[in-house]
Amino acid sequence: MFCMTLPAPSTGDAAALDVCLARIADGDKDALSQLYAHTRPSVYGFALSILKNAHDAEDVLQDTYLQIWSAAGRYRAQGKPMAWILSIVRNLSLDRLRAQSHTEPLVPEDWQDRFAHTPAVTEEDRMALQALLSALGDEERQIVILHALTGLKHREIAAVLQLPLPTVLSKYSRALKKLQLAWKEAERHA
Amino acid sequence: MHEQDLEQRIRTAVEHAAPDPLEQILAACGPQSGNVIPLTPPKAKKRRWVPMAVAAALVILACGGFSVYSWRAAKTVASVVSLDVNPSIQLQVNQKERILSAQPLNEDAQIILEGMDLQGTQLQVAVNAIMGSLLQHGYLDSLSSAILISVEDSDAQRASRLEAELTGEVDAALQNASAGAAVLSQVVGYDAALETQAQASGISVGKAAMVQSIQAIAPDLSFEDLAALSVEELKQLLETGAPGLPIGTSAAADAALAYAGLVASNAITWEVDPELDERTPHYEVELHTQQGEFDYIVDAWTGEVLRGAAGLSADVSGSSGSSGSASASSGISQDDATAIALADAGIQRASALGLRVSSDWDDGHHIYEVEFRSGGAEYEYDILASDGTILKAEREDDGWRLPAAAGTSTASFIGEDAAAQAALRHAGVTASAAQSLLCQVEYDDGLAECYEVTFQTSGARYAYEIGLYDGSVLKSERTAVRSSTGGTGANSGTGTSSSSGGTSSAGVSSGGSTLISAEQAQTTAFRHAGIDADDVYELDCELERDDGSTYYSLEFKAGRMEYDYEIDAYTGAVLSVEQDRDD
Repeated sequence: MFCMTLPAPSTGDAAALDVCLARIADGDKDALSQLYAHTRPSVYGFALSILKNAHDAEDVLQDTYLQIWSAAGRYRAQGKPMAWILSIVRNLSLDRLRAQSHTEPLVPEDWQDRFAHTPAVTEEDRMALQALLSALGDEERQIVILHALTGLKHREIAAVLQLPLPTVLSKYSRALKKLQLAWKEAERHA
Repeated sequence: MHEQDLEQRIRTAVEHAAPDPLEQILAACGPQSGNVIPLTPPKAKKRRWVPMAVAAALVILACGGFSVYSWRAAKTVASVVSLDVNPSIQLQVNQKERILSAQPLNEDAQIILEGMDLQGTQLQVAVNAIMGSLLQHGYLDSLSSAILISVEDSDAQRASRLEAELTGEVDAALQNASAGAAVLSQVVGYDAALETQAQASGISVGKAAMVQSIQAIAPDLSFEDLAALSVEELKQLLETGAPGLPIGTSAAADAALAYAGLVASNAITWEVDPELDERTPHYEVELHTQQGEFDYIVDAWTGEVLRGAAGLSADVSGSSGSSGSASASSGISQDDATAIALADAGIQRASALGLRVSSDWDDGHHIYEVEFRSGGAEYEYDILASDGTILKAEREDDGWRLPAAAGTSTASFIGEDAAAQAALRHAGVTASAAQSLLCQVEYDDGLAECYEVTFQTSGARYAYEIGLYDGSVLKSERTAVRSSTGGTGANSGTGTSSSSGGTSSAGVSSGGSTLISAEQAQTTAFRHAGIDADDVYELDCELERDDGSTYYSLEFKAGRMEYDYEIDAYTGAVLSVEQDRDD
């Protein structure tokens, strides 16, 4: 059989990110810009998938890079820079959720409306985002977004989310089926 | 919609939705907290070799100054040792096994030898240093790379002793670096004509001998063209009967770059692995760009890109290649699969060199392919991901020698019974349990090559290649016989899509698009064979499905040759070619 396995989508290869982090630790802002360019969608997507609120996700996006800037010196190059960055995103997002749970009740956000005024977001994008929000459970959404955007393997995703691997695998496959259905449905109405 | 398309849609949507507050972030970056611990920058490649290479180089420097010999013999060339990977290096050695000269035979070799003064050093030390440099430059990492050691010496005994010693030296170096290259070695007799030809092409006599043996089976291939190929390509050509001239690694890289819409620049590096011994002979090209890694499959004969992402624009970040990892099903992990394969082969993890595990789909089943090299053989396993069943176990000896001189009598062969017994013993199958046992001498172009032994048990099919003279197991293959509940060959959608390449592969993947006609397949095959349709007779053309791929199987004759082609029914790519004299 003629077959060949391609590497997972990568937001820049691990070694390059490791180099960026080393330079950031030395106070190199260009390196931070470079890291940002490689990881912005992953960081934002993951924050959004946890927070379900675009405004909060944007805040976490900014906080994440500020934290990377100040904490890069504590990062140990182990070839897992993405997992390290994502753990920062996760912690910041969970902190924010915890803080909010004391003050304001979470109002579910409609992503269709939320992104209606963002020019880069197409009608199809809005549909995709809304399906992610409404059709999937929290963990399912986080798993799918991490898999689609970060290039992490299921095993690594399991580590980031602190879930057992079989859970990640089964939730991932269920989530894809749900998305498929939701998109078909949305397309029929469109 | 396939998994990749779904994920692609998610990526696009999130990328579009993500705000871009870089300026605010940079403006907010204050002085960093004080606990900055300097990081060692990560190493791009395994560099375990560096200290040894440096040590060897120091020894060389130290020895260099004392290499004054007063007697004549010291300056007389006793043997010539050449090392070929793609860099070709020739070492002239005196009776005391000290280097008289170390000559880079091509540009790649100049880089390898840069800064080394090998003159006067012991041969083994020199070979060690050269190996260090080769490993450092990444020449020997992959399973499909090969190093050829050739020894030319008028003293046959000394030649084979040197061959054995150097092979041991090189093996140990690869072992230390966990590098997966195959080691080929040979003793070459002195041949003035060959030497002249080798010099003219800038290759070693050893490599020239290899080229010569390819020409013996494929007389239409030119010496010059073959000399330009690497040792691994030559080895694979020899193994497959050299059905054609491959385009070469740099042409393959160019093809992938062009297909990707990229221009060669400092920002892009690539690795090319020839896979001429696969069913579809091809090159695997890995492009490393700032946006990530992209893999391409390039047809080895035509240079056509069979698989990979086309038109990478400037903003591909995040939308690169497809996921090759396990999807949907739960089951064993890659590590588990590796452990199962190693246990079956009876090999420690530490001695499995060039270990590579990939995830794949076969007949709708998720499998892991585990490949490694150990003890002079290459292993390939297919492990079912759901429960760890070994579907296929293959072991192939690297043992490669120049084809035996013609006219070797069959008198000293071990005989078919002994060959069959050797195979059964290796498989651990008793003669009574083996069904449909067949054993015969396999000939290639009239030369006896090996015994081919095949048999079946209730659980598996076996195929062996057994050495003609010593009954050694040259190749073994075990394929699990699946129960009839297994896949019918028609894959589920997710199954096939997971194994096919890049998300944006432009119409080359075999999904969805329309079939080419049988006539088109025929035209492709005739053109590939370089024959006129009018000269073709006894043509048989059938559409077949196998392992999830759909192809035309063509058999035909022209002139005094018989041809066997497989043409991809979607892309028209030539999947396999066999040609034989029609006796």
